[in-house]
Amino acid sequence: MTIMICRCEDLTEEDILEAISEGYTEIEKIKRHLRLGMGPCQGKTCILLVERILARELGKGSEDMDEPTARPPSRQVPFGLLVGDGDD
Amino acid sequence: MSDYRETGILNKDDIKLPDEERLKKGPVVILECVENIPCDPCVAACPKEAISMEEITDLPDIDFEDCIGCALCVTECPGLAIFAVDCSRERCSVTIPYEFKPVPEKGDIVLALDRKGDPVQKSEVLGVRHSGKTYGITLAVDKENIWKVRGLKVIE
Amino acid sequence: MPDNRIKEHPVLDFDRGKEIYFEFEGKKIKAYERETIASALYANGIHQFTESKKMHRPRGFFCAIGKCSSCIMKVNGIPHVRTCITPVEEGMKVERHSAQPEIPEIEPEPYPEPEEKEVEIAVVGGGPAGLSAAIVAAEFGGDVHLFDEGDSLGGQLVKQTHQFFGSHKAEAGTRGIDIGTDLLEKAKEMGVKIHHNATVLGYYPEMTLTVDAGGKLEIYHVKGIVYATGAIENYLAFENNDLPGIYGAGGVQTLMNEQGIIPGRKVLMVGSGNVGLIVSYQLLQAGVDVVEVVEAMPHIGGYQVHASKIRRAGVPINTRHTIVKAKGDYEVESAIIQELDEDWNPVPGTEREIECDIICIAVGLQPDNHFLRQAGCDIEFVRELGGFVPIRNKDMETTVEGIFVAGDAAGIEEATVAVLEGRLAGAAIIQRLYGTSEDTQKEKEKAREGIEQMRKGPYGQMPRRGVKVCTIDEEVC
Repeated sequence: MTIMICRCEDLTEEDILEAISEGYTEIEKIKRHLRLGMGPCQGKTCILLVERILARELGKGSEDMDEPTARPPSRQVPFGLLVGDGDD
Repeated sequence: MSDYRETGILNKDDIKLPDEERLKKGPVVILECVENIPCDPCVAACPKEAISMEEITDLPDIDFEDCIGCALCVTECPGLAIFAVDCSRERCSVTIPYEFKPVPEKGDIVLALDRKGDPVQKSEVLGVRHSGKTYGITLAVDKENIWKVRGLKVIE
Repeated sequence: MPDNRIKEHPVLDFDRGKEIYFEFEGKKIKAYERETIASALYANGIHQFTESKKMHRPRGFFCAIGKCSSCIMKVNGIPHVRTCITPVEEGMKVERHSAQPEIPEIEPEPYPEPEEKEVEIAVVGGGPAGLSAAIVAAEFGGDVHLFDEGDSLGGQLVKQTHQFFGSHKAEAGTRGIDIGTDLLEKAKEMGVKIHHNATVLGYYPEMTLTVDAGGKLEIYHVKGIVYATGAIENYLAFENNDLPGIYGAGGVQTLMNEQGIIPGRKVLMVGSGNVGLIVSYQLLQAGVDVVEVVEAMPHIGGYQVHASKIRRAGVPINTRHTIVKAKGDYEVESAIIQELDEDWNPVPGTEREIECDIICIAVGLQPDNHFLRQAGCDIEFVRELGGFVPIRNKDMETTVEGIFVAGDAAGIEEATVAVLEGRLAGAAIIQRLYGTSEDTQKEKEKAREGIEQMRKGPYGQMPRRGVKVCTIDEEVC
């Protein structure tokens, strides 16, 4: 049975629950542990779903959740765009 | 209160209806808009100022005495929630806003549907008007069905 | 091969351009020059484009706007091409590849040197809020640059075939598609510099934006920013929720109303908010059968008038029901729905299988706050506004001076409010940069009055409560 949470990184609900049981109980920590939300879409489908799972598992409300750090680039870009032709 | 929040279907008591006497006098429009949504094009559409509202989130109120049943508001209402009924002629009719393809033509026989999409009767199309891409289709409807018929389906 | 292009539509005309042919895994495929690779494949009944990274699950069309990468394929020998935003061309060779394709040995074209520019006002996002902010700021003499990652502007408006509610003095009765065009014309007329196909990549202090301008890096040093980045669709967790055939309402609208291709034959709609109801109606207009609408809440989420429109077209709406499973090997073949009890738990024995090839998810939106978080604006969870929203003052200025927000990015509301918030932010950013004037003050007050009007009534209760929590009672000046 597959309940997909993060489509980009192929993380299922089972993966998230396992991470929580291992002590990764904050979204930022789950992100660093599993690359959650670090794929091409930058967390557009998964963050909210994980916030819900966390709230449910920890008996908290959505208002107690945090958003993970947002860093550029916001979209996937070719390396060349950022580094140029690599000559300098 | 009726259960339209669960069903999406209004009951007769949710709607302000004209009395028999008014119905006999000529066509009239029925506003099936009950939720105070911020919207007012019906007020501007009426040439007789029969539809009124003070604040944009008020319910539109219709004065059946001022309404001439011209049905201009039927094709202007963004919610497609206004219908016209006419029981002053030999054959009763209901005018329905319609935004599907194909558009029926005058004289066609179509299936008249109720608020649940169930067929009520076969109806002749008496008139077709449009404002932009919203059509107002007038169907001949049996007297006992004028409060039931609110949709139509073209018979292929 | 099937042809899923819409032939006749009651509201839209599709100008597809010239007929062309390309090659998909050795087969000749018909397309039109204005189609993307993904939409041309979809129109021909090809739904699986690639596979997922680790589990090799089928992936296909999904977001339709270049964000999710479910559609990456090998095009003319180059892997990882986002086919949903890449125009199809005569003679193109398209192939599927595995999740981790080999990188070909080719010498890439050198990228142009990045360009640095100094401008006054940047507006990020070209939907109703962004366009309105740009129009007003330009009207008051601002040097305004508007960035949108899409090819055409108008945001979600361009997908809306229905007439809008609101005041007849404003845009009520006008269809969303036409409102978008009008706003864009007005922005051009006012001298707004419009950058389309320009994706803002990041914010750097102080007031610097990097932009991917169609394959060229541009760096903008600005004095003020309006973020009008809109919303992200909420998703649902259920078994096999990643099968091709399960799409968000936005993806369905893009495919159907922008590209003129039906997503499938039989749709299960999940969610009865206004988006779910409106998209159901649009599906019917495109000639698609909407088998059923399910809603987890005990009542319909959206307006009764929208619900009535699809009910009288024969679409059932089942409240207290949810989807628990999608079935199918490579794409959706059916769905299992189930009744929910008062505590939102599925009631055993109430499972029902619905035959459908599309499951459309319309379970609400959340503000897209990505850039606001990058810029260090304070955000707070406000349930009534759909998620994490920026703390703002009465002028839509965030806690970072000079950074404003408008539209769904500030909280999920109707398009009319987005327009008005855009106008408010547009006047306020001028005040922030050049000081106040009678005219800017008047514009702000007019916009605020309009917003207040829109938030009256029962449906305005939620946003009314929400903005109270996150609005500081201060003005720019």
